[in-house]
Amino acid sequence: MDIAVLIKQVPVSNNVSVDPETHALIRASAEGMINPADLNAIEEAMMLKEQTGGKVVVFTMGPPDAEKALREAMAHGCDESCLITDRVVAGGDTIATARVLAEAIKKYGQFDLILGGALSADGATGQVGAMVAECLGIPHICEIQSIKYDEAAPDKIEAVKKVYGERFLVRTSLPAVLSVNFGCNVPRLATLRSTRAAKNKPLAVYTNADLNLPEDQVGIKGSPTAVIDSFEPTGGRMAEMLTGTPEELAVKLKDLIDEEKGNL
Amino acid sequence: MANGICIFAENYNGKLEPASAELVSAARLIQETTKEQISAVVVAKDCDGIIEELKNIGVEKIYAVKTDHDILFQDDAASQVLADMIRKIDPSSVLIPATPAGRSIFSRVAMKLNCGLTADCTELLVGTKEDGSYYIKQNKPSYGENVFVTIVTRDGYYPQMMTVRPGVYTIPEKSEGNAEVVYMDDIQIPESRIEIAEILPQEDSTDSILSAEIVVVGGRGTLEDDNFELVKQFADKIGAAIGGTRPMVDTETIPFDHQIGQTGLTIRPKICISLGVSGAIQHTEGIKDTKLFVAVNTDENAAIFKVADYGMVADLREVLENYLKL
Repeated sequence: MDIAVLIKQVPVSNNVSVDPETHALIRASAEGMINPADLNAIEEAMMLKEQTGGKVVVFTMGPPDAEKALREAMAHGCDESCLITDRVVAGGDTIATARVLAEAIKKYGQFDLILGGALSADGATGQVGAMVAECLGIPHICEIQSIKYDEAAPDKIEAVKKVYGERFLVRTSLPAVLSVNFGCNVPRLATLRSTRAAKNKPLAVYTNADLNLPEDQVGIKGSPTAVIDSFEPTGGRMAEMLTGTPEELAVKLKDLIDEEKGNL
Repeated sequence: MANGICIFAENYNGKLEPASAELVSAARLIQETTKEQISAVVVAKDCDGIIEELKNIGVEKIYAVKTDHDILFQDDAASQVLADMIRKIDPSSVLIPATPAGRSIFSRVAMKLNCGLTADCTELLVGTKEDGSYYIKQNKPSYGENVFVTIVTRDGYYPQMMTVRPGVYTIPEKSEGNAEVVYMDDIQIPESRIEIAEILPQEDSTDSILSAEIVVVGGRGTLEDDNFELVKQFADKIGAAIGGTRPMVDTETIPFDHQIGQTGLTIRPKICISLGVSGAIQHTEGIKDTKLFVAVNTDENAAIFKVADYGMVADLREVLENYLKL
């Protein structure tokens, strides 16, 4: 089974700064890492590959520097990678971004399954996977806890979906896009050896010249939404500050809790 | 001309999802300025109960498609039906709960309609364009703790579509209501390639935090030494569920589904004790309507003190050690 995995580089910390003019994230202030849920998607892909053979190709869109995230993904076991990097496609919203990713997947080759992490830790839209599926005209299932493939039914895949406080076994035809929940498995670690090997694994670089998408379909120009303002929240309220030794504070805390508990 | 505020009435087992009911409050605030009609779209096997619920919380017009089985699990089919409904209704805006189903179905709808989909809004405001027409300012926290962004749907793209974070708006009071109900019988329901094979037995519930009346929220400060052990003992003692901010999840101290605030849950506990949490936004956006909110932090300038009822500038370790002796 050939599997594509979509990953995103996210800032390591939430403490990042935003350009007051463009409202874009100042990436320099944030060392990138792979979105944690995407590592779970990579692990699901690796387990399926071990069962079925085939290859795992990891995709991301970003600045040239996003190569680091792809190398890291290959150190976690992915076989090949594809970076889509072009000023024309930068700054797009989820719709414009999904178009680019879908087109890159189509250009790269045939895939039986496409996986992604459920929510990115920074933008947290959880939309791109479903939008890629729509572009490709294939099913998408979100909130996936585990994936099961049965060689006896090679054109289908089963997955456990967790929603409404219940778990459902769902089945879909292939190809399909599955969005994998954070923490659903324990991603294998990269080793020194796998990290070194990743340096020599294939990395394809696409620009929009390769994808041939109309410029009014991608990037800022092709985005139906626009960020027009960024601001710091204002709050006029201030807590009543309690003072004292830790012993006294513990007593005050207990009094407050006990009093409120009486009202529950 | 596109007109009206339309709500996606997400439903499961014949019941309206609370997050969809909350959207009526958001729609009413928009309506105060734009005077538009508030409608809802329902796709369900059993529409009647859902329609009653919508009528009683102030929805003025209801568009329904009755299906032979519930299709909201089948994104491919559901998104086609909803895209067709919205094309016919032609509203100026569509409000969707930022739930797994809402996000995943309407991502496809947005692509089909070539309109935008703003994710996870925490505030919707009305703006006025130069020509006097209205638009929705879609505010949401972004990039973490201390920044909000305003997103708009650009001219030429309709409708304005956005998902709204559950728990931000309250469900309107119930009252006897009346609404026009339109069954859109001409809408075709396509075959789905997704099927539910089985409903699996329940696992141990990790959802207790959503219904907990008392919650202890740990931040970065609880990751030092064995502070988290103390937090657990403290939570045990006062009968609280434990939630945490992103650093706690990143270090796997707490599971992902206990993350409060940005990218996590919105909770409504009666009592919330926050320990070692400094940032205000990613955390407090996730906590609403708390009766008692106490924050403990060593930094007197911590933003959390702007939103708590009571603050203590103290080492959480010292306070908790003493508390456990009481």
